[in-house]
Amino acid sequence: MGQLIISVGREFGSGGRVIAETLAERFGIPVYDRHLITEIATKTGMSEEEVEKYNETPKSRLVSRRVRGYSNSIEDNIAEMQFDFIRKKAESGESFVVVGRCSEVKLKDFSSLVSLFITGDMDKKTERVMNIYELDRESAEDLIAEKDRKRKKYHNSHTDSEWGDVRLYDLTINSSKLGIDKTVDFLEGYIRARMDNNSQK
Amino acid sequence: MLTASVFAVVIFIVMFFMIVLDKIERHIVTLGCGLLTLVVVFGICMHSFSAIWNTLAIKNFVTRDFWYQVTESESKGINWATIIFIAGMMVMVEGMAKAGFFRWLCMKIAFIVKCRPIPVFITFMIMSAVLSMFIDSITVIMFLSAVTVELAQLLDFNPVPVILSEIFCANLGGSATMCGDPPNIIVGTSLGLSFFDFLNNTGLCAGISLVFSVIFFYFAFRKEIVKDGAKQVDISTLPAPSESISNKRDFIISCVIFGCAVVLLVTHSMTHLTVASIGLFIAFLTVVTAGKSALELLKKVDYKTLLFFIGLFVVVGGLEETGILEYIADFIKDISGGNAMLMIAIILWISALASAFVDNIPFSATMVPVIQSLAGTTGVSINTLAWALSIGTDIGGSATPIGASANVVGTSVAAKNGYPISWGKYCAKLAPATVMVLAISTVYIFVRYI
Repeated sequence: MGQLIISVGREFGSGGRVIAETLAERFGIPVYDRHLITEIATKTGMSEEEVEKYNETPKSRLVSRRVRGYSNSIEDNIAEMQFDFIRKKAESGESFVVVGRCSEVKLKDFSSLVSLFITGDMDKKTERVMNIYELDRESAEDLIAEKDRKRKKYHNSHTDSEWGDVRLYDLTINSSKLGIDKTVDFLEGYIRARMDNNSQK
Repeated sequence: MLTASVFAVVIFIVMFFMIVLDKIERHIVTLGCGLLTLVVVFGICMHSFSAIWNTLAIKNFVTRDFWYQVTESESKGINWATIIFIAGMMVMVEGMAKAGFFRWLCMKIAFIVKCRPIPVFITFMIMSAVLSMFIDSITVIMFLSAVTVELAQLLDFNPVPVILSEIFCANLGGSATMCGDPPNIIVGTSLGLSFFDFLNNTGLCAGISLVFSVIFFYFAFRKEIVKDGAKQVDISTLPAPSESISNKRDFIISCVIFGCAVVLLVTHSMTHLTVASIGLFIAFLTVVTAGKSALELLKKVDYKTLLFFIGLFVVVGGLEETGILEYIADFIKDISGGNAMLMIAIILWISALASAFVDNIPFSATMVPVIQSLAGTTGVSINTLAWALSIGTDIGGSATPIGASANVVGTSVAAKNGYPISWGKYCAKLAPATVMVLAISTVYIFVRYI
């Protein structure tokens, strides 16, 4: 198998992370999500909790400044370390699945990249979040709105493109229509077709 | 004229707001706003070709005063002398960095004090201040903080207090000379002041403040730097300073060029060479001696910052030509009731407060015509107001992580190496130190000049 990089962008509650993990299992490749936090924590000597605090979090523009590529924002520095990490992994020829981290933009020059964006119906996402986090409907909806707002801000501040814009991804799919398992089946077929296509070139 | 003034103010506010938002690169912001100033304010509203011509200041290049200045003269519009000088120093600094000068110097000093944490802490503070007198603080902190982190990992000490103190001292050292910090270059070239004028005035103040700052930081940080006793490390196992030198020939040449730059700057009031001439000459020397690497050095120059300056000067020119800055000067005159001490205190402390949160370069460029106007109408010495403005903008920037470029670079290097510095951690010690130095500076100016 040649190199395969699967980038999974996702709306909160859409099951994007589970889809990414299942795809990783099916292709027998690692998934970089939580692992990225551990990696940065090990590399820098920071605690995982500290890295987690700034992970995929947008900086506040009013208290941040950038000078010749340097930024005082801890969020920016953690983000850049993660971008470097996935870029180096991609350059090494390794196959992997990466969740979020603007990976569909940061790795767009790699021909082995398959970029996906997982969306979902609001009622299905809400139910999922209510079950996982044991929240009432209103709190679940608020959490979804808050998380998606942060992901959008994070993505848009680190790239020149809009989070969730269909033109950024090879495939955007609503996981509520087929359910998580069938969505994974469908995506696996698409990715295998892409791999066949790449190997014929 | 009223419409022109309104447009000039609106363009200026939009520019400042967009620089703070950091959504669009700041050189594009200032160039765009500069173009709007030329077209809308000068062209459409004022129908004044002379305003455009004065602001672009192209004619300055062919005047003798621009290159060789016998009598003091003031400049308006785009401050090309500042831009050429900064460009020249950028080329020189790139040459020095490529040869390994900065890393060598840091390691050498660390070895002189036998790599003991507290002596490293104190000597690095002083080195930061001294280097920043001649070299831009961004470069100084870029290298100093990187070596600090490296030594901290080898010697097992906490680099955060050391980096914070280095940042503070870099900003303090920058206030000591005309070329130490961009606001000083703008103030100096705009008002026809010399390197020695700064050294003799803001330099003395910075020297006194440095003594107090080193004592302050020693007592504030000594327990944080080394915990549970210092780790004993055999310094012969550490990377030797000479390993930092990438090429001995380039290293010697870069040292000689740096020496030339220092001599030319210190003596420029005697040689009458302007900072524009010095910048151009130093860049020329660096490029000529770089041989095949010349193109590489030129490519590394931060052109975006130079373009940022050009756009900025045009926008400020809009405020100047429409008389807005005179209104501000009149306002300061009115609230101070013509009292020189109050006027100086306002300039120094407002400059410091503004510089703690916004870029001090646009602020100082805006304030230079204001203090010129104030001096003209109140009789207070323009030089005294210039020192207050320089000290306020240079020192005020130390108070917060976004106040000056060195702060951003230092905190970024620390974060990338696993030592994140939050606003709280930064301000807890550096904000009080800033207030202390501003208070010392205020007393210094009152005692010496009033």
